[in-house]
Amino acid sequence: MTMVDNAIAQPPAVGRFSRRSFRAKFILVVGAAVLFDLILGGGIAIWNVQRLSHNATQQVGEGLTEASEEYLRTYINTTAERADLLLDQVHSEVESLANSMQGLIDNPDLRQGLGTTIEANSQLRDDLVYDAAGNWAQNTGGASVISVWSYLLGPDKKPLPEVDALVRQSAAFNLFAPGLLATGAPKLQMYYVGPKDRPIMRTTPYSQQAQTFDKLYPGHNNMNFWDFFFPGVYEGWQNWIKNPSSRNVTSYITTTAPYIDAITGKLIVSFFHPLWTKDRSDVAGMTAADITLDQLAGVVQSVNIARTGFGFLAMSNGNVIATSKAGEEILGLKSSDVGGQGVTGINRSLRTSSQPAIASLQLPQDQGTTIKHIFLNRDGEDVPYLVVLKQLRPANLWDGKSIVQETMSLGFVVSEREIYHALIAAQDNISKATSRIVDYQLLAVLVSLIIVLLAVFAISGRITAGLSALTDAARRLQNKDYSVRVKVQTRDEIAEVGHAFNRMAEEISFHTENLEKLVDERTRELEDANEEITTLNERLRSENVRLGAELDIARHIQMMVLPKANELNDIQQIEIAGYMAPADEVGGDYYDVLHESGRVKVGIGDVTGHGLESGVLMLMVQSVARALQEKGSDDPKMFLEVLNRAIYKNIERTNSDKHLTLAFLDYHDQNVTLSGQHEDVLVIRRDGAMERIDTGDLGFPVGLESDISAFVATRNLPFASGDIIILHTDGVTEAESPSGELFGFDRLCASAHDYRSGGADEIVRGIIADLMAHIGTQKIHDDITLVVMRHR
Amino acid sequence: MEIKTKEYRVWREEATIHYEGTMRLSGTEAYAPILELMDDVLKSKPETIVLDVTELEFLNSSGINLLAKFTIEVRNRPDVGMAVRGSTRIPWQSKSLPNLKKLYPAVELTIN
Repeated sequence: MTMVDNAIAQPPAVGRFSRRSFRAKFILVVGAAVLFDLILGGGIAIWNVQRLSHNATQQVGEGLTEASEEYLRTYINTTAERADLLLDQVHSEVESLANSMQGLIDNPDLRQGLGTTIEANSQLRDDLVYDAAGNWAQNTGGASVISVWSYLLGPDKKPLPEVDALVRQSAAFNLFAPGLLATGAPKLQMYYVGPKDRPIMRTTPYSQQAQTFDKLYPGHNNMNFWDFFFPGVYEGWQNWIKNPSSRNVTSYITTTAPYIDAITGKLIVSFFHPLWTKDRSDVAGMTAADITLDQLAGVVQSVNIARTGFGFLAMSNGNVIATSKAGEEILGLKSSDVGGQGVTGINRSLRTSSQPAIASLQLPQDQGTTIKHIFLNRDGEDVPYLVVLKQLRPANLWDGKSIVQETMSLGFVVSEREIYHALIAAQDNISKATSRIVDYQLLAVLVSLIIVLLAVFAISGRITAGLSALTDAARRLQNKDYSVRVKVQTRDEIAEVGHAFNRMAEEISFHTENLEKLVDERTRELEDANEEITTLNERLRSENVRLGAELDIARHIQMMVLPKANELNDIQQIEIAGYMAPADEVGGDYYDVLHESGRVKVGIGDVTGHGLESGVLMLMVQSVARALQEKGSDDPKMFLEVLNRAIYKNIERTNSDKHLTLAFLDYHDQNVTLSGQHEDVLVIRRDGAMERIDTGDLGFPVGLESDISAFVATRNLPFASGDIIILHTDGVTEAESPSGELFGFDRLCASAHDYRSGGADEIVRGIIADLMAHIGTQKIHDDITLVVMRHR
Repeated sequence: MEIKTKEYRVWREEATIHYEGTMRLSGTEAYAPILELMDDVLKSKPETIVLDVTELEFLNSSGINLLAKFTIEVRNRPDVGMAVRGSTRIPWQSKSLPNLKKLYPAVELTIN
């Protein structure tokens, strides 16, 4: 076991509040979740508030606009009603007067009686006085002033009789007119004018009427009153009789355009009501009332909308007959007097306004109320204005030439900024309220977030306390403080980890303390094992040495018992050469040459197996053969049988499982006796002829059976001068070339034949050279033994 | 049952034991597994044990010793017959197999 490098094992320390700490992550995750919730909730709330605010603004706007317009409509309608009412009142008073006068016309008797009565009453009777300067006659005082123009006077400067009659008849005027004048709508004056042929003029209250006329309207006394003052009116009325459809308005009342009153000098309007003859075939004069425009203007000027809103009253031709001073300025009007014949009119038309929007303003063509949005230039700035227009009831108008239908229009002008001030203020309030709500909402989100984060921070501390304790403990454990234990105070998963940690720490502590003991034990065990291995190794080595030594001994024995060269040289008739090369793992080849007094015995054999055992077996064979040779055993068959028995018994005793092939050649007197089973024997005759002798039937493997007499036989071969006999072991014929081809008996024959002319030594060397060439780099499997006998 | 190496193969078919390849084992101990296989066949007491070496190209002297020893064993069991099949194509067989018949004449030796 190796210790892990401390530097690698040590993880980077995690501060309790560092970004990577569990607590920071916990706070971050919970905080993010809460923030998300709050933002979502707050966002939805804010969005709703904004939407509500928008809707409220829109609805309030619509409501206020509607209310404002409704208010203006109602206001203008009411104002129009008031104006109409004022006019109606004057109308009805003029009508009352007219009806009274008409009643007199329609009842001549009553008129006659009334005239007579009035004539009798000095109070009511008019005493006309001729004014020479003015050339007219006029009463000097009373309820009314009655003027009789020059052309109605006779030569006596008294009214013509029919004129005088009318003066008397019209005196009834004094009964009704002063009362009517004093009551009802404020009127400047009420008057009666006679028919065109007798146009006397009776007016209440009494005034210097003729004198004023003379002053203001020179020449009027020389011309018919109607034609001078109101040209076309009389004819217009006459036309109504002739052609009723030319009268468009129900009322007979005919209005004049505003003009400056000759008597009072005020801007006035006159309301005429025609009188008819009894048979309604002609006009019989008129009754009339003058009112100052102040009263109509009062109605219009009383209009008060917002701060600077105002009203105006305009004729259909755009002539503004009533408005306030401020209104005149805002509308951009220019006043001018219109002079000419008759009463003096005024002109203050919208059409000549300095404001283009006013100059082109379309007055209403029907009874509906129209509201228009225009821009008026105020001090170089285009300011939006609302214009509300409403027609008054139509009336007959004398336009200075004839009677036409006229409809006046009432107009309201108000700055939109003012009228919508409430709306703008309301929208402002809504907007402010919305901002306040949004601000509160944001503040609430922020406060919630802070509270939640504080709570999370506090809770996380408690939650992660266990983990922090574990972390500290783990670090201490890492620093080899094995006594560390975690205090477990909760009962959650962290507590379980804590318990597990404590158990582990205990185990680590235990193992650490016991480690040395364990190491000692293991070391001892290893030492023991090592010792054992060393011993075994020793034994193996010695075994190896032993085996190696045994092999050496075997080889040594093999070589040791081979016949020496001087022994071989002693043999007179036969030249013998032998070759033996043990393989790495030896079998146990054997060859021997025993020579005694002209008898030569050559043996060749091959022990199975290898090692010392084979070597010893070979040594035994050699010893037994030597002993038998010494004993002088002439019978090769017996020789082999005895040798086999001896070897068999020894093999049995040594409990060996080896045997050997063994053959002997007995030479004597140009003759060879062959016995024993071994490899084939090659004979090369002097002339080069070759014989191959099979020894299979001449014996049996030695040491395999106790008695081999049944199998042992002999074969005689002539062996004369120049003949060659070659003996070999299977190491020669079974030697392999690198390609695995055996050397074989045929190659042996060929090789021997090639070298047959040489001595035994040369033949051996030649054959071995060929054999080695054949083997080449191939491994030598078995001992190689070659014996060549050459008859001298 | 089969013993197989790069050089040789020995296997059993009923009471027939086949040998194939080149057997150049170093000694009695090395040949022990093969002898065990042959003894197993013998223990099964077949009517005739057949040793088929027609495909055995080479057998060293230790191997021949094995065959001889086994033949002697079979010879001691009169109830079990033995047959050996060899080939004249392979030199060692003509030379060594007749010895088996010499050891135990009841061996049916066929060398074709």
